Amino acid sequence: MTKGTYLGEFELIVLLATAQLGNQGYGVTILEEIGRRTGRSPSIGAVYATLARLETKGFVRSWQGAATGERGGRPRRHFAVKPAGLKALEQTRQTLDRMWRGLPWKTRPRAEGW
Amino acid sequence: MNEPFRVRLAGWLLERALGREAAISILGDLEEQLAARGTRWHDRIWYGRQVLGCLFPHRAHAISGRNRLTRRPGGPMDTLGTDLRFALRTIRKGPAFAGLVALTLAAGIAATTVVYSAVDGLVLRPFPFPEPARLVGLGTAYPKLGTPLGFMENLSPAEYLDGRAATSLVRPVAWDMGNRQVTVGETTENLFSGFWWGDPFPTLGIAPFLGRGFLAEEIRSARSVAVLSHRVWQNRFGADSSLVGRRILVYRHPFLLIAIIPPPTLLYAMDLWIPLPVGPEVFPRNRRQFQVMARLAPGVSLAQANTELELIARRVEGEHGAAFPEYAGWRIEARTWNDINVQALEPAAFVLLGAVVFVMLLVSTNVATLLLGRSSARAREIALRSALGAGRGRILRQLLTESVLLALIGAALGIALGYVGVGALGRVLESLPIPVSGTLAVSGRVLAVTAAVAVAAGLGFGIVPALHALRMDPHRTLQADSGGATSHHSRLRLQRTLVAVEAALAITLLAAGGYLVRSFLELRAVEPGFAPDRLLTMRLSLARERYPKAAIEPFFATLREQVGAIPGVRAVATASQFPPGVFLRQPFQIEGTAPPADQLPIAFATLASPGFFEAMGIPLERGRTFGPDDRAESPWVAVVNQPFVTRYFAGEDPIGRRIQVGGPNGRFVEIVGISGATRNRGLDQPPEPEMFLSTVQADGVNNQLYLIVRAAAEPRALVGAVRQVVKGIDAEQPVYAIRTVEDAFARTQFSRRISTVLLGLFAAFALVLAAVGIYGVVSYASSQRTREVGVRMALGASRGSVARLFVRQALAPVAIGSVAGLAAAVGIGTAMRSLLFSVDAGDPATLVAAASLLTAVGLAAAFLPAWRASRLDPVRALRSE
Repeated sequence: MTKGTYLGEFELIVLLATAQLGNQGYGVTILEEIGRRTGRSPSIGAVYATLARLETKGFVRSWQGAATGERGGRPRRHFAVKPAGLKALEQTRQTLDRMWRGLPWKTRPRAEGW
Repeated sequence: MNEPFRVRLAGWLLERALGREAAISILGDLEEQLAARGTRWHDRIWYGRQVLGCLFPHRAHAISGRNRLTRRPGGPMDTLGTDLRFALRTIRKGPAFAGLVALTLAAGIAATTVVYSAVDGLVLRPFPFPEPARLVGLGTAYPKLGTPLGFMENLSPAEYLDGRAATSLVRPVAWDMGNRQVTVGETTENLFSGFWWGDPFPTLGIAPFLGRGFLAEEIRSARSVAVLSHRVWQNRFGADSSLVGRRILVYRHPFLLIAIIPPPTLLYAMDLWIPLPVGPEVFPRNRRQFQVMARLAPGVSLAQANTELELIARRVEGEHGAAFPEYAGWRIEARTWNDINVQALEPAAFVLLGAVVFVMLLVSTNVATLLLGRSSARAREIALRSALGAGRGRILRQLLTESVLLALIGAALGIALGYVGVGALGRVLESLPIPVSGTLAVSGRVLAVTAAVAVAAGLGFGIVPALHALRMDPHRTLQADSGGATSHHSRLRLQRTLVAVEAALAITLLAAGGYLVRSFLELRAVEPGFAPDRLLTMRLSLARERYPKAAIEPFFATLREQVGAIPGVRAVATASQFPPGVFLRQPFQIEGTAPPADQLPIAFATLASPGFFEAMGIPLERGRTFGPDDRAESPWVAVVNQPFVTRYFAGEDPIGRRIQVGGPNGRFVEIVGISGATRNRGLDQPPEPEMFLSTVQADGVNNQLYLIVRAAAEPRALVGAVRQVVKGIDAEQPVYAIRTVEDAFARTQFSRRISTVLLGLFAAFALVLAAVGIYGVVSYASSQRTREVGVRMALGASRGSVARLFVRQALAPVAIGSVAGLAAAVGIGTAMRSLLFSVDAGDPATLVAAASLLTAVGLAAAFLPAWRASRLDPVRALRSE
């Protein structure tokens, strides 16, 4: 894994959420996707900052979408994963899989007395 | 766009932080989510957090508080956030305590804001001119006339030209001041005006707000061009910028308006500037009615300029000393414009600044006492944290964060209060004839100073209790049921020390306020030498264009007659000046005597109409005043006051003697009466020699006179009727400077009055704070000694003796502090001597009064908790632990 393609934990989560949404991803839906799947609600600022970083790395692309009344007439900014992003996801998964290999299937924290 | 403020604020912030495009998408997302969530208050908080999260994305999780996805712990900013959150929670848990601390601080900070704004606006930066240290005025002193260095109406045109020769000064400009009536449309207004020999804009270093300055040619040939102040242009001309280049009427004479002076530049509140060329051929060398300002030449110091001016003075003395004996030993001296104009305010300013420092120290001490009580209550919490491994530095930082946060809350409140105070003070100042143009405002500088003071105070009052809290042994604190016995003792010791400090500070402020109050009372007891109550005065300037010399006295005579006929008018007179504003002097010579070698005779010279002494209530000691037989063509007569007789006729009878007034070519007048002395320069100045000449015999040389009306009742009620009379005589004639003589006296006491009021307030505040401190000590001490009280009472101590015990122990630190405070009060009295009037620094009556007052308040504050302690039921007290 070369430098620059490394995905941090939150980057990985945001990128995966975007990938799940195909072409339907924008701020609100990405947040909802993360919330639905992880039970956590990051702030919109953190998500946008991460998306901006991912866009600079060439993993996602963005385009201006439709403006609706409930948004106060402001257009959406849509995000979708680019092939380079999919490749980075794949690499990260492989790296993680390699790291998992050989460990017992169910891990427990030490504090619980394993 | 008619969106809620929330959206506009968020949009503004986001756009600045992230750029327009990102801001739009984020705002849209937030609106969409908010629409789904609702608009309850916690939804709005969520919104605010989201916006903040966008501004600090790396801190987003810390701020949103619930999310730990990408938290990077441990940095100093991180612990700051934790500390702040914790501090806010602590404040929420004890709002009464936080409110008390914040209010105490707010009062102190409001005082700081008001005083610092005033000092900044009036003394430190009184004028908005660039390079103020290089803008100078020229003063003159005449030892032969006994006149000290003066900067007003002190130079003649010939002397101005002498001074201009100095190469160390550049861009000099001379001016005279007076009144002009300016007509715009239907209304005629009197404007205080400057008559300039030169263009003042380059000297002041400012550009006109609109238009251009005077051209050399316009000055030389006295063109009818005019410059107006911004405030007049705005208030009376509707800020119409097309007015520049048009004509306005000055004394019904058309003048081309060429410029507007930028706000708030007002020199001596002059609202109209017009050119006035005054060559030495126009005025004699000894007609000194101009003032001069200039800039120091590049690279030249003030001292160098004064060396050159000294040479010029000696040269003038050599050339003209024979014809003008007052030149013997005279001086010309340049001083910076700021020094000249703020000198009178400086003592008051620095006394008030000093007082504010004391107030802030007192506030900090008081808050420290409060926090100390608090930190003991939290001893277990701190001990627990320390036992769980929190370092001393970490705990210290936490406690200091809390105190600084409290300080900042107090500062916010205090600045809001300060705004109100500064506004009120500004309105008072606007109505006063102080030469300073600085407007009072809570500027960025003031806010910076205030914020610095607040943070310093927060650290200052936080550090003592915080260190104290850290000194406690966590082990023992946790073991003991409610803190350890030692910690109580050390806390009580510390609290008593703080009370002693408070007492010292309070007594110093009380004494300083007391000195001023006593001065004020002394001044009120001064006899002015006439009856200043129920006297209404106003000024009228007759236009030379419409009133030739011969028409001036008839106008005023008619005016006196008709005003005298108004019901409710007891007496009426006209005069060129009246106490406390007497300042015009004339040299004179007693007929048949040689002038003394060391000093030329000079005295205030006042033109007064028949009836003047009666209207003013100035007693006649001998002879007579002006009567109907003193007509223009009869022999000229004068009345002189008692100090005049004492100084110039020691042991002789002046009545029937003649004096020559106004130099070698002056006219001879016969002294016909001696009047009592008046405080002609204000209550705090001794009466000075004054001679009164009749307006009837004055040839109409003076076209500006004051109308003086003695009323039977409230003098201001007559203003309308008097205006009506003036209008009946000349519909276009304005009256101005309408005030009562009592007001005029009050104005001379302005800086003393305002210092007295402010210091009085500070002293009262100090008393309250000291009382709170003492109360706190006694209630704490008695609460900790419940058991002991029970034992004492069980063994037969009376309720009275228990109460006395607590009061005595509370007053011991007050006594110690008072001794230190009294010593400081003597020192402070010396520093504020110039503000005092017949009161000495260390005035025993003041010091005794201050000490008694503090003791009385201390007793009262100690008594309540002590009394409560003595009411304890001994049985329950013994069971309490």
